[in-house]
Amino acid sequence: MSVPNEENLSSHSQLSSHFFLDLLDSIIVDVASECHRVARLGLDSNLEEEDEELKLSAQARVRVADPSNSNEANGKYVVDIFGQTHPPVANEIFDCMNCGRSIMAGRFAPHLEKCMGKGRKARLKVTRSSTAAQNRYSRGSPSPGSTYSPYSNYSTNSMNRLANGTSTFAGEEHSNGTLES
Amino acid sequence: MLPRNPSYTNPEPCQHLAEYKLKHGFNGYKAIQKLLVTSPIGKTSVKKPNTKVPRCGFCNGCEGRFYLCLICSSFSCLDHTLLHPQSESGHAVFVDIERTELYCGVCRDQLYDPDFDQVVMSKHSMGVAGGATGNESIGQRLIKRRRLVSGIVGLDLQKSKCRVSTKDLRGKSCYPLGLRGLNNLGSTCYMNSVLQVLLHAPPFRDYFLSGGQRLEACHHRRATDLMCCLLCDVNAIFSAVYSGDRSPYSPAQFLYSWWQHSANLACYEQQDAHEFFISMLDAIHEKEGKTRNGSKGNGDCQCIAHKVFYGLLRSDVTCMACGFTSTTYDPCVDISLNLDTDVSSTEKGKKLTKQNEDGSMSTLSGCLDLFTRPEKLGSDQKLYCQNCRERQDSLKQMSIRKLPLVLSLHVKRFEHSFVKKCSRKIDRYLHFPFSLDMTPYLSSSILRARYGNRNFTFGGDQSDMFSEFEIFAVVTHSGTLESGHYVSFVRVRNQWYRCNDAWITVVDEATVRASQCYMIFYVQKTLHNKANEDLSHVPNSPGRDLFLPIAGCC
Repeated sequence: MSVPNEENLSSHSQLSSHFFLDLLDSIIVDVASECHRVARLGLDSNLEEEDEELKLSAQARVRVADPSNSNEANGKYVVDIFGQTHPPVANEIFDCMNCGRSIMAGRFAPHLEKCMGKGRKARLKVTRSSTAAQNRYSRGSPSPGSTYSPYSNYSTNSMNRLANGTSTFAGEEHSNGTLES
Repeated sequence: MLPRNPSYTNPEPCQHLAEYKLKHGFNGYKAIQKLLVTSPIGKTSVKKPNTKVPRCGFCNGCEGRFYLCLICSSFSCLDHTLLHPQSESGHAVFVDIERTELYCGVCRDQLYDPDFDQVVMSKHSMGVAGGATGNESIGQRLIKRRRLVSGIVGLDLQKSKCRVSTKDLRGKSCYPLGLRGLNNLGSTCYMNSVLQVLLHAPPFRDYFLSGGQRLEACHHRRATDLMCCLLCDVNAIFSAVYSGDRSPYSPAQFLYSWWQHSANLACYEQQDAHEFFISMLDAIHEKEGKTRNGSKGNGDCQCIAHKVFYGLLRSDVTCMACGFTSTTYDPCVDISLNLDTDVSSTEKGKKLTKQNEDGSMSTLSGCLDLFTRPEKLGSDQKLYCQNCRERQDSLKQMSIRKLPLVLSLHVKRFEHSFVKKCSRKIDRYLHFPFSLDMTPYLSSSILRARYGNRNFTFGGDQSDMFSEFEIFAVVTHSGTLESGHYVSFVRVRNQWYRCNDAWITVVDEATVRASQCYMIFYVQKTLHNKANEDLSHVPNSPGRDLFLPIAGCC
């Protein structure tokens, strides 16, 4: 009984292999037919040009990668085509259209950003001012009605107290007297 | 007879096909048409006979490919297709029932006949009635667009006749006008590189150098109101660069106007050249379009930005169940392309050849193929098919309905991954040709390829007459995503120059070909040749004649 089973397995394997080859042949013929039509009707007339362009690109990359063949001396210029040389930062001077101040060309964009009150740094400046105002307000709250000068005195007084290590009434008077002089 | 499609090469029919058509006319074709079965996505095959499995009439075999004789309607396998004409005189023409291709049993070759292709395509038109109606309306729009295209070309050619000023303050006459460095005002290389390209785009340049009437009126208004006008400042840049003065020019006035106009871009940080290019054209359209058009649509806009850079993209969404196609059109001033990092093995044979030859090189044609490849939409994007009246799987395919005078191609090198929450720059080399034929990416070519490249003129989208382009500028990017540098190369009279902010230097073709392109600019070949001719005939001072280089033909 094992012999018929082996034959069945072999037959199934051959059959599936046969079907697979049929499908593969069909796909290959489809691709071949498409390419044949494209070639005969001239729809790939640019293929040779494309190949030539690709060769030029390959040659170009080889030449540029070769340091001994470099056209520019280490990528740094000596003079341009007009015989001119230029500094790293453009040094032409002109007046800002917004505020009228004289500005060097290479620094015009950062200047204009602040001048017009736009962009990144302008926002940072505003934020810093807000923080300062907030700090001033919070420090002022322990002493309501105080002016700027008493604030400074208060701070010094506090330092003296800490230095002395005592909180006697006589000490306080002494500190006040020192500050007054 | 159908008008001959210019992009096709009509091969001479073999004598057997000629004799068949002479004797039998179109009877065989019409009989075959009744047997054709069209699939929703464009493939055609011949219906099987009543018995499920076709069999060869001679050997009764049922393997391999089958061919149907156009005279006696008998089926033959490939071997007996070659024997059939020998036993039956005149029975030489067959049809491959799997692919609906003509085949000659004597010449042993596939045949191509425009009449047969028309018969096959008519079957497709019967299948999708909605599409046919759409084609007719598209055809009406086509006539209008052709006039527009012709008008634009004529108009710009006339403007090319205006002469450029021959004033040369510094006497450096061996280089053509229009070459002048632009000072970097502080991380403004993105602006300088795009401005250099615009300064050398033939139709755009000719418009500004000829001096529009509107600019005078605007200048007058500006003097009184102290308003900033972007167009006047662009005009000022053109005047300065083409004045003959060769010291680097500071586009400070333009930057001031630009930052007033685009508050969101008024920032010292490094910016994207492509974003600047798009915003710049939008600004020009906004300034000039309103006065010229009276708020018409983009398609008929007469501003210089749209006349030069306007193109039309076509998007087809096809139901995979019934073949109904929904078509939409989107205007564009440039085309953004993904880099073709993987050449798919399902590509056509010629791509496989390229793949073997070039390893893993990316090419511009590969990117354009990727752009125009059919893409299956995801399950969340199922199309509601008007024909099926339910949501179905669908294919989406892009093509170019109308090409601009200046074609701007943008390579997406700055990639943002939403999954990884990070951005990176793709430094992959991309090959780009100096001459580019855009015919394969036109809507007519894409439609033709969808239906098996039949020799058939689609009613709506005929081939654009101006699809040959020549390169004139490249914007390259080096460095990283956070800190990089833009440099542009411009081609003037077939000589390449590198424009690195204030530095203008001569480079050879190899340097340009090997560069890492970010934006590539092509102009239609007719305009390119015209521009070269005009420039070479610019009146010169006597001292300059000795040094004028000879302008070569493309």
